[in-house]
Amino acid sequence: MSPSFGRVGVVALRVIRQLKRDRRTIGLIVFAPIVLMILFGYALSGDMSGVALGLVDDGGHAALRAHIESIKDFNILYMGSESDAEKLITEGQLDGAVLLRPGQVQVLLDASSLQISGAIAAAVQAAASKEKALLQKAQESPIITRYIFGYDLEMMDTVGPAILGLVVFFFTFINAAIAFIRERSQGTLEKFMVSPLSRVEMISGYVLGFSLFTILQSATTLFVVTFGFGVPLQGSPLTALAVVLLLGAGALVLGSFFSNFARSEFQVVQFIPLIITPQIVLCGIWWPLQSVPEFIRPFSYILPLTYAAHALRAVMLKGAGIGDILYPDLLALGIFFLVFFAAATLMLKREVA
Amino acid sequence: MAERGKVRELELAVSARGVTKSFGRQRVLDSLNLDIPSGMTYCLLGPNGSGKTTFIRAIVRLLRLDGGEMKVLGRPVSEVDKIYSQIGYMTQHKALYPDLTVQENMEFYAGLYGLKKQQREEKIEELLRMVDLLEHRGRLAGALSGGMYQRLSLACTLIHEPELLLLDEPTVGIDPRLRQTFWEYFNRLAGEGKTVLITTHLMDEAEKCQRVGYMRAGRMAAQGTPEEIQRLAGLKPILKLWLAEPERDAAQLLAQGYEIDVVGGVVQVHLERHAQIKEVLATISPRDMRLEEPKLEEAFLRLSEAT
Repeated sequence: MSPSFGRVGVVALRVIRQLKRDRRTIGLIVFAPIVLMILFGYALSGDMSGVALGLVDDGGHAALRAHIESIKDFNILYMGSESDAEKLITEGQLDGAVLLRPGQVQVLLDASSLQISGAIAAAVQAAASKEKALLQKAQESPIITRYIFGYDLEMMDTVGPAILGLVVFFFTFINAAIAFIRERSQGTLEKFMVSPLSRVEMISGYVLGFSLFTILQSATTLFVVTFGFGVPLQGSPLTALAVVLLLGAGALVLGSFFSNFARSEFQVVQFIPLIITPQIVLCGIWWPLQSVPEFIRPFSYILPLTYAAHALRAVMLKGAGIGDILYPDLLALGIFFLVFFAAATLMLKREVA
Repeated sequence: MAERGKVRELELAVSARGVTKSFGRQRVLDSLNLDIPSGMTYCLLGPNGSGKTTFIRAIVRLLRLDGGEMKVLGRPVSEVDKIYSQIGYMTQHKALYPDLTVQENMEFYAGLYGLKKQQREEKIEELLRMVDLLEHRGRLAGALSGGMYQRLSLACTLIHEPELLLLDEPTVGIDPRLRQTFWEYFNRLAGEGKTVLITTHLMDEAEKCQRVGYMRAGRMAAQGTPEEIQRLAGLKPILKLWLAEPERDAAQLLAQGYEIDVVGGVVQVHLERHAQIKEVLATISPRDMRLEEPKLEEAFLRLSEAT
């Protein structure tokens, strides 16, 4: 039987009708992000490693340079000019750069990642005072700090875009898993199995239906993040929406997949520590990826929220367009969606034994 | 559509030959042979755990058989997914969305089977009237009573006018008056050439079907028309006669070869056939009489003891 858009639409309409009637869930979808932001907006930073730091050495600060080079958390890239460093920071290749000139030290920082910027600034400060003590003379080298994106970012600015991704992921995952558990316990799933509706059509219908609520949720969250908390929105909200929709679709099929391992709605809730918490901790939302211990970091790179958070920051803070986030972010999100779409479809078995 | 015409010519809607299914060590279907002729109401009876639901699930391939051969609407059961649009399957789970209204549930299932708007509205109206839910169409399914919920589930199963209806305990919790309506509707469908397979553990329901199969421990203990089953079990209808001169008439009936008892002055004639009533009345003229049909339940009880 060839897939029918008609049947996909029928499932989508039904999902929308059900969700529309579920006022509590709609309330939660809209207000939870706000509460989350207030709660976590001023989060912490941790120790970091693997900070990419550019170094332009025009001489005059041997001791300072030696000190910075001795910090093993910094991966130092030596370069010739200030403009090179600036360019790489803009492209996200560097987290910051230190320019050493006789009589002056300049620090360039990536404003979209404040904890890292703080660490770099602190390290340079420490190195400067060490150098001063070493040289035993009152050589004043003013440290000039410059943020590449030109504005003073607050914690909220970096966390806000990521929260947008987190809430969409969280609610879509939970709601989808519960919806599929219900399809099972109500007997509707069994009935679908004996109908012209194919498994692909069914899951596609869900993706379509849930997308409407993802749009609603993203729109309100974006509104609150930008107008309520003053987070800049440099890029197009439509680009941000595209990221969130792809992430939401991934969360939906993941929820559908995991619903096979739960027997009740209660057990779905128990997935939160397993599925959601790692994303919160490891995806660079509250603290940068660089502060995630290196041996767990590869794990961060298989979690979809890592890419969504990165892409959303790029769109909102750096004004990235679709082309800028295609690789690796959208590609990774797309692969994640396709893999779990296939897995979820295969798990909806027709024959039970 | 050509497919439908072809199906109608076939004699058997479902045929099972030596069908076997085990769950672990438990054998649920045990070399089951079962034929369901098309265009009739067939009732699958049997105690709980006798394999009725398993058999229905095997027909729609929700589970794979361990052995044996099964054909559904003329196709091997392995191809049954190609004719799902011709099958209506009502599970014991009801399969409704409690957070949708009666109307929305109907619309959803109508949409799945690709009913066009005009046809959809007519069919929904007709079925909701049949199950007596027309005035509740705006209510949430979750707010309906158990019986109403059941009725809605039946209506949703009928929405696409399936050739083969598989109804697993469809009349649980339905009041007798409405049950009568259901049976009239099922018989009408059978009259239109559709096949209705119903499982139940209620004997009086089975008596309303054109054919009855009695399952026990995964096998067919007996199948046939309700009358055939009674005969098979050795049960006969009894004609009770109130007579002016019981002794004389009894002697006469005995002389004619009838099997009779006299209980408290009432002569009871065990009939071989209903046609014998006429013959008896040609011999004697009772003051009053009553015909007592044997209960199917009794027949099955006897068959259970015999197997």
